Amino acid sequence: MDSLCRRQIIVATLCLCLLVSVCGRPAMASRTIRFRQEETPQTPQAPPPIEEFKFTKVDLELLDQVNLVDRRFERDGLVLEDEATNAYLKRVGEVLLPRGLNLEHVLWKFRALRDPVPNAFALPNGSIYVTTGLLALMDNESQVAAVVAHEMTHVLRRHTYLQNRSNRKKFLTMNIMSAIGAYAPGGVVGAVITIVTAVAPFIVLATMFGYSRDLEREADLKGIDMMIAAEYAPEEMVKMLKVLKQDIEGEEIRYFYNDHPALQERINYLSSYLGGRADRVTPQMELNREKNAYLTKTESIMRHDIQLAINAARFRSAVYLAQRLIEFRPNSSENVFLLAEAYRNLGPRSPQLTEKELTNSAKKDAAKKRAKRTPEEEERDLLATPAGQQNWKMHQQKAEELYQRAASLENPFPAIHRGLGMLYEKLGRPNEAVPEYEKYLELAPSAVDRERIQRRIEALRRTQT
Amino acid sequence: MTSTSTLAKACRVRTATLVGLVALVAAISPLVVRAQFMHPKIKPKESMIRNVVILPAKVQVVRDSMKGPEGMAAESELLSDRVEKMVAEVLAQKHVTTLSGPAASSAGDGAQQKYSVADIQAKFDDLLPKVMKKRSDVKKGRFSMGDEVLNLNLEKTADAIIFIRGQGQKLTSGKKTFVALVGGMPAYLKLMIGIVDARNGEVLLYTDPILAGDPTTAVDRLRKALEKGFKKLPSAP
Repeated sequence: MDSLCRRQIIVATLCLCLLVSVCGRPAMASRTIRFRQEETPQTPQAPPPIEEFKFTKVDLELLDQVNLVDRRFERDGLVLEDEATNAYLKRVGEVLLPRGLNLEHVLWKFRALRDPVPNAFALPNGSIYVTTGLLALMDNESQVAAVVAHEMTHVLRRHTYLQNRSNRKKFLTMNIMSAIGAYAPGGVVGAVITIVTAVAPFIVLATMFGYSRDLEREADLKGIDMMIAAEYAPEEMVKMLKVLKQDIEGEEIRYFYNDHPALQERINYLSSYLGGRADRVTPQMELNREKNAYLTKTESIMRHDIQLAINAARFRSAVYLAQRLIEFRPNSSENVFLLAEAYRNLGPRSPQLTEKELTNSAKKDAAKKRAKRTPEEEERDLLATPAGQQNWKMHQQKAEELYQRAASLENPFPAIHRGLGMLYEKLGRPNEAVPEYEKYLELAPSAVDRERIQRRIEALRRTQT
Repeated sequence: MTSTSTLAKACRVRTATLVGLVALVAAISPLVVRAQFMHPKIKPKESMIRNVVILPAKVQVVRDSMKGPEGMAAESELLSDRVEKMVAEVLAQKHVTTLSGPAASSAGDGAQQKYSVADIQAKFDDLLPKVMKKRSDVKKGRFSMGDEVLNLNLEKTADAIIFIRGQGQKLTSGKKTFVALVGGMPAYLKLMIGIVDARNGEVLLYTDPILAGDPTTAVDRLRKALEKGFKKLPSAP
């Protein structure tokens, strides 16, 4: 065996060792987490265990970055500047926070983010964001607590830093592997090296997602413990996941790799975890009371979110949320107006996705189409079908009825006339659209969209003459 | 002996591939830099854009190291400001005036004004991937943001709104060596700029200049790329 061949074997062995050691690490990490969970006494009063965490230069750099991200969210108008909402979230967070806990480089902030997509996330500096889209879907404070507890666990257990450290090692491994692969010698050994280095990035990538899923699972389970300790109904975390599983917009797509466990999987493991240790099941009457109190607090957020959902072409979500609002307060002119707006904008789309449309492949296809077509083009394509035409007719009719009902209620909302104007304009009835627009401007002289409506009136008048 | 010759052969193939790739990038890049797509209502030598409002640019750059990408939030903000100013300067050469943004021009409620800008920016972010997928359709007048742009309540003289997005990466010295030896994405900055009619939201011009090299230190290169990006835009009188 000559020296070159020996060198090739050494390189191939090193390559395999590197891959095995890196891919072994996340498994070890997740085992450590599970072991710690089992080791910790799970009494309801116990705060989540926090191990000693030593900040490195890399962690502090990441902290600087997220502090800037925090400021940018505020500056760019993404944070909902509603003191009552943010104070409410803060109160929930403080109830969940273990007493006397002071974490290095963590300053707790709980805020609502103006985003119609249901989501929540935590930054490692202690900023917890819950989107208006998620707040609008929830039923009670316990569900808010479930989300906040999950996100707080990410901060308490320093998940972002741990994942960042882990990812850096894996990226380095991938780069080393590709360098070895690029200079692989010929022959059988070279071929082996090439194959190993070609496959390795996928394995390393899979371990990255696997590690992320482990951390999410830990956040779910620790979150439940925090809820119990704070005397929130823990079963509401499962119910909240079931609400998310409805998938109103058909966007919960499963790919080969996912950073979160599937919703059904989360529901399953949380249910079995709770089955073994739920201390109480909250009576339905208590939950109903909680629901009313919650909706009273979040009605304005829901209204804000419906408008955001319409702007983002999430029309099905807008209809769903507006219906929820009307169930809660059926005689509110603003709530009825919002449902009318949702139906008008829904146009030729169906109000709910069918089972066939909710299959993973159908959702993937729909996502591809969404990436290509604008909402106007989607509407045009649907209007070319009989079902689309039927939906359009039905929804415009429904919208008109709702606008008129909203106008007949106490304290009618001025924007009803703007909505009617837009509806008549689209229906090709300019003679009816113009007076509605004028009425709107008369009732809301300092409206933000005054110029927009004035221009529409001018354009309609031009077409009339 | 056989192994040595195979190694040499493999090296030759790799070098040829690299040379081919570099030649291809060099051949394509000038076209990419010049790529700009205009709405049919913008006629050459006939200016319809005299006054513009530039909305806050969102340029994101990362530092790519051997250990993966790292955020550069502070540098990204500085770069966003620089790009915004430079776009204004380049347009000034074409006698296009940059007016003050919506925050300064309106006396309305602060939070509401912030929300209006955020909502319009979000609307552009939704439209941008569709524009990028088929840039040439800007020439057919396919893309519009609708008359909601009027909710920004800009100055009456504003003809267009400019949206700037960008992404790029800077390489650490280790990664530079790695890219030179093994290959990979070099340092670059890609800007995506849309000029939208301030009255009806139609996308009037879309350009996406790319420049190679460290984006955080680019000044002259950035100016040149922007000048090329707006080359076809007719000058205002």
